[in-house]
Amino acid sequence: MESVFYLLDAAPYGSEKAFGALNAAAVSLDRMDVTLGLYGDGVYLVTAGQDSTELGLPNLSDILYSYGELKVLVHEPSLVERGLFEETLIETIELADEEDFLEAMENSDCVILF
Amino acid sequence: MKTLTIVLTGGPYISEYAEIAFKLAEEALKQYQVNIFLYLDAVHIPKKGQKPSFFTNAGELFIGLAEKGAVIRACARCAAARGYIAEEGLENESNCRDYIPGIKISSLYELSEMLSKSDRVISLSR
Repeated sequence: MESVFYLLDAAPYGSEKAFGALNAAAVSLDRMDVTLGLYGDGVYLVTAGQDSTELGLPNLSDILYSYGELKVLVHEPSLVERGLFEETLIETIELADEEDFLEAMENSDCVILF
Repeated sequence: MKTLTIVLTGGPYISEYAEIAFKLAEEALKQYQVNIFLYLDAVHIPKKGQKPSFFTNAGELFIGLAEKGAVIRACARCAAARGYIAEEGLENESNCRDYIPGIKISSLYELSEMLSKSDRVISLSR
């Protein structure tokens, strides 16, 4: 496998899924082409200005931003459905409609679901 | 020989993915090198001493797969978070005294290595 698509459809906090997806994506960067695809509630991960200090958790948006070499594909309809499209998002992302999102998954050698 | 990697992220009994992974792996071993990576709550699957009343014992499910050649690894960060600690010098063919034989706690980097060296990947998650 030369490329991997990590698909996250869970919100960043409340479970370990987003943190797990981020870590898996990060360790794959030196071996493979890595895409982190955010769909459904997964799109909350890219909203800017998150403050997770009272949760006692790291700011996952900041961690994502720090991996500039990671391709982050955000499902635009999911953003719209959640009223996030007009919100400030971190800068290192790409928006994708349904067709582009599916195409990116198809073009990856494997898809790992979180 | 081609390589198949199965990635599990869910714990036992909340779904049938552990059983499905076992059945897939057992069949695939006839023609594939099989890797299984246990991530997030899936690190609970190989715990010794499980006593489910009505379900297949997930802990015992994977016994023997490693003997048949499967490489089964659990994420160290996820395992430590749930109380499974890697130790050296154990005699149960594992590096965790709470795990069934043949399953080792390993770095997450091994997931990346497994994926990059695989011909097929199956992800079972919910």
